Amino acid sequence: MIRCEQLKVTFNAGLPTEKKALRGIDLEIPEGEFVTVIGSNGAGKSTLLNAVAGDIPVSGGRILFGDRDVTRVPATGRTREVARVFQDPLAGTCGSMTVEENMALAYGRGSRGNLTFALNDKLRKIFREQLSRLNLGLENRLDAEMGLLSGGQRQSVSLLMAALQPSSILLLDEHTAALDPKTAALIMDISAQIIAEKQLTVMMVTHSMRQALDFGSRTLMLHEGKIVFDLKGEDRSNYEVSDLLNLFAKARGSDEALDDDKLLLGS
Amino acid sequence: MSLFSFLGTLEIGLIFGLVAMGVYLTFRVLDFPDLTVDGSFTLGAAVAATLIVSGFNAYAATFAGCLAGAAAGVVTAWLNLRFNILHLLASILTMTALYTINLRVMGKPNLALISDPTVLTPFEGLGLANMYLKPIFVGVWVIAVGVLLALFLKTQYGLAMRAVGANKRMAQANGIVIKEKVYVGLALSNGLVALAGALFAQTNGFADSTMGIGTIVVGLAAVIVGETLLSSRKMMMIIFSCIIGSILYRIAVGFALNADFLGFNASDLNLITALLVGLALVLPHLRKEWKAKQAALKANGGDA
Repeated sequence: MIRCEQLKVTFNAGLPTEKKALRGIDLEIPEGEFVTVIGSNGAGKSTLLNAVAGDIPVSGGRILFGDRDVTRVPATGRTREVARVFQDPLAGTCGSMTVEENMALAYGRGSRGNLTFALNDKLRKIFREQLSRLNLGLENRLDAEMGLLSGGQRQSVSLLMAALQPSSILLLDEHTAALDPKTAALIMDISAQIIAEKQLTVMMVTHSMRQALDFGSRTLMLHEGKIVFDLKGEDRSNYEVSDLLNLFAKARGSDEALDDDKLLLGS
Repeated sequence: MSLFSFLGTLEIGLIFGLVAMGVYLTFRVLDFPDLTVDGSFTLGAAVAATLIVSGFNAYAATFAGCLAGAAAGVVTAWLNLRFNILHLLASILTMTALYTINLRVMGKPNLALISDPTVLTPFEGLGLANMYLKPIFVGVWVIAVGVLLALFLKTQYGLAMRAVGANKRMAQANGIVIKEKVYVGLALSNGLVALAGALFAQTNGFADSTMGIGTIVVGLAAVIVGETLLSSRKMMMIIFSCIIGSILYRIAVGFALNADFLGFNASDLNLITALLVGLALVLPHLRKEWKAKQAALKANGGDA
């Protein structure tokens, strides 16, 4: 479903601040696979997700969705296939618009906006049904301003919004990192539910080793813009968090101590 | 204020309601502070007046004025989107260029429309005195345009435009092409402002190269006064509050100029405008502070 061939991304090319964020990623994710992506800060995890989404230009290699080469297709042209949830709960929704307006926007994802009314009773019914899955009482607050909701509530709505339109690829960029543990667990639960129900192809970036092993069927580790290991099947089910941490230490070089607190969170 | 001067104030307030809607579109909906309006107001007036004087139908001339304004908006959007010029600066560039263009369009700094047929001419035979006819005629236009604009902002397209102003990243992730929405929004906004200019020229009988100076401040004043007095989330109410804000602003200016004890005269208009806008911006802020203080006092009293 998603194929990257020798994918390279370089920021500030030719300048003293040049940064090779991705240095040739070869990756094939079959349809319906749920891949978790880990790696230290600056390893290129988010860059990989942004490249797949089309947010940043690629400096080399190709990206394909199925047989379709999307390397030069801008982000807006990929939204028929790709849905996303961001790390920042404020990034995925418009705070100054109501819950139903936000959902109506997501409902129109992938189609050109036209001059029919964005909201009607049929849509409101669909939105209410979807919101009631969250058990947060939001189904009765359709006309509340998004900015009045808590971060967890907003992130929950973002997740529902990502799943409103049929899409095949879901990109989750540390989408539970900014939430308290209880809300994070709730959001992860709903994510897993939606992913299973819609049989989505998923890439989830996470800083939590526990999450990386508990969810999905494959784990990638990135380091300095390269995939340093690719864990799946039998192998993966035998892995423990401590094994991952060892791999991490190895990837970073034996002389470098594991000093990143974030990596240990949730382990 | 006499009835005559009140009706005149009402008429100008209604016309600037169109400007307020245009300013609302750029400042509030698109989050694109656009000063092009100072030039596009005059451009609408200049194009419409020139065409009318050359014998064109007044409605066609008004429409042409609108289109010219929309084109000015597109230029500002292009400077910003294509060359990454800061939106404020891009709009100032267009506005400055328009000053010359308006002079060229008219061929002279001032164009009178005394005996030429205007959009009002077909209704002048209905037996209504001109002082009533003008505000009614303008009112019908402004309300019709306002209703259409409010309906537009409730469509999928309009909603997408609002999302572009509220959260670009989210808009993009939902497949909204940001540039297109900015182009359309600025064209629409400046088209509305040019329509106001064209109507103003015809109801007042002249187009002048300096008539657009301060349009942006008046439009902003109307938007802010309207928001302060009628805060609502309903699109119809928001557009309505632009019109009401514009009328109230004109009435306030009229009173300030007419009140003898204040000692203002007509040339003090800009100071009065600045004071009124400042007041409209400061009052809601002060009210919030006062409320917070009251709440704090109450809470402390409860503890003691």
